[in-house]
Amino acid sequence: MTPSRPRRSMTRRSLLRAGATGAAALAAGACAYLPVSEKAVAAAAASAEAEPAVVPRIDGDLVYFNWADYVDPSVFTGFSKKYGVKIIQSNFDSMESMAAKMNAGNSYDLIFPSAKWAQRLALAGQLRRIDASTLVNAAAIFDYYPYFGDPWYDPKSAHTIPFTMYKTGIGWRQDKLGSLTGSWQDLWDPAAYGHNFLLDDRDEVLGMAALKLGMDINTSDPDDLTRIVALLTGLREHLRGFDSDDYDNLLDGNAWLTQAWSGDMASVMWQADDASIYGFEAASEGSPINSDCYAIPRSARHPGTALLFIDWMLKPENVEKNINYIGYPMPVHGSEATYAEIVQTLPQCVITVDDLNRNLSFRNVTPAQDDARDTAWTDVKAG
Amino acid sequence: MTTDTEAVRVTAPAPVPTQRGRRGGRRRGRGERSSPLWTWLALPGTVWMTLFFVGSLIIMILLAFGTTDLAGKPHFGTSLASVRHLADSAYLKVGLRSLVYALITAVLCLLIAYPIAYAIALHGGRFKNALIAAIVVPLFVSYLVRMYGWSVLLSDDGPVLKAGRALGLPSSVHIVNTNLGVILGLVYGFVVFMILPLYAAMERMDTSLIEAGRDLYGGPLRTFLTVTVPATRQGALAGLALVFLPAVGDFISAQLMGGPDQIMIGNLIEDKFFAATNAPLGSALTMVLLLVLLVGMFGYVRRARRDEMDAVR
Repeated sequence: MTPSRPRRSMTRRSLLRAGATGAAALAAGACAYLPVSEKAVAAAAASAEAEPAVVPRIDGDLVYFNWADYVDPSVFTGFSKKYGVKIIQSNFDSMESMAAKMNAGNSYDLIFPSAKWAQRLALAGQLRRIDASTLVNAAAIFDYYPYFGDPWYDPKSAHTIPFTMYKTGIGWRQDKLGSLTGSWQDLWDPAAYGHNFLLDDRDEVLGMAALKLGMDINTSDPDDLTRIVALLTGLREHLRGFDSDDYDNLLDGNAWLTQAWSGDMASVMWQADDASIYGFEAASEGSPINSDCYAIPRSARHPGTALLFIDWMLKPENVEKNINYIGYPMPVHGSEATYAEIVQTLPQCVITVDDLNRNLSFRNVTPAQDDARDTAWTDVKAG
Repeated sequence: MTTDTEAVRVTAPAPVPTQRGRRGGRRRGRGERSSPLWTWLALPGTVWMTLFFVGSLIIMILLAFGTTDLAGKPHFGTSLASVRHLADSAYLKVGLRSLVYALITAVLCLLIAYPIAYAIALHGGRFKNALIAAIVVPLFVSYLVRMYGWSVLLSDDGPVLKAGRALGLPSSVHIVNTNLGVILGLVYGFVVFMILPLYAAMERMDTSLIEAGRDLYGGPLRTFLTVTVPATRQGALAGLALVFLPAVGDFISAQLMGGPDQIMIGNLIEDKFFAATNAPLGSALTMVLLLVLLVGMFGYVRRARRDEMDAVR
């Protein structure tokens, strides 16, 4: 049994096909990893330039792959009716399972990766080039949110169009805890001990501690990580749990205080019997910003339809429908008021251009750094 | 009093009722070897198991020495990084906790399942099958969904604790995110695997033995301990194994019903395979868990074989 051999050489070959990116990776080391260095990013950008962009035209039915319930159903039916194509939907439940399905050889026309995964997929040569100027409705993004013209995860947005944005802060019960101080220190509020949660997410938890200690949120320095683990171990003994189900915990009373994603607060607002008891704050030390985007995988069979669908999603009326359906803000000019209305009582959920420019986002790091962070996370979680 | 010891002696070769079945099985076993037909009929199953069970095990062993690429795809290799990571004391601590949880769960399941199986097998009458069906039917719904339901029902502001508080339960009491919550979840999830083998053992039991015990002046308790318990020991052992093994590796109960101090080894393995996209470390942890459980299984198989020999003797 030597299954490793054909697989390896396949990887090498596909890396070489990706041109400069592959060359950089091979030069850097004999392992199968692509190091995430400035050089690799630049090389990927250069190879993207050379590749023809997807042309927006109907070339078949749309095979769509996203989180469940992330698009207003009427937006789908509208697209089907207008262009006479079917939309075949499937869903993933995490970025990792999305990547696993793609790695297993499934072909999708349109995916919705987070910024970090968009960078990984683009560097691995798995995304097609998109030219935003071929889209009718993209100006509402790029003319008003210059951040997305050249985001860290995809130089010049060569493979992606931004979809939603969210930040990480603290959601809490005002009826139980009153008002908070606006710092990550609030997670250590003794009044909330036994009713407090952290997200079950390595980057969010390590990042929060790093911000509180004044470090880089992606730090993998051993001394930094030691201090982070010590800080979090101190909180852990008072902690009710690590759980990413932030809005359920707030709604069913398990949580009086939880590290929370701003995007989930809309669900709290919509489902709570009394929405006025909930608060959301972005910490003064900095709140991590994240975004999801549209991307077309290399293996897509109908990339043209996918690009037309992206344009359709960016039509102002569809943006409004989707924001009202999923409760996440989108970087589309003209839609800001729609979102602000949903989180009227939680104004800190709103993501401003300044928030974006602070650029506190979780980055891909090298395998060794990733390993160090993962060990720290295991130690925090298992105690 | 001599009659009492007499009663004990009569029932001493305890698993008598299984004797016939076992012997029959053995005789058939000898016949198999001589008939090529049985060999051929066993072939598809053997090939299937070799390909998909042994094959995937081998892949997992190899993967423990592999790496993961940028797109999250695992590759085979000769890296020892995952093996080195196993030294982290967190894994030992969480692994031991999982074994303790699973042991408590198995014992609780035995205590709960025994009277249920007993009542159905010996007093179920014509409702026997309906009662067993009632126990099995909930399994048709995914374990995950049922556990999710429990986590909502037992949450701090959920109906159970709300009702409890109305009846004077202190508000500091909660169930979700405690040891109790996780063990309750495990017991709920796996108790059926204890009831079924116990029920099967009791069904097979020759009830005239109990009558014989009573005829020989054994009291109800004594008869139970010297006749019923030994006769159903094999069912109980099978049940303990069937509950213990999946409970050790479970991650759903700890995820939905547990807090930071209830994390089980299954949660860490799941974390490595998915969130960390570190299939090599996940594979290495799985292999270690498998080895530990194999040692336990070996003990079980030896015990079961000894019982079988006793029965045949």
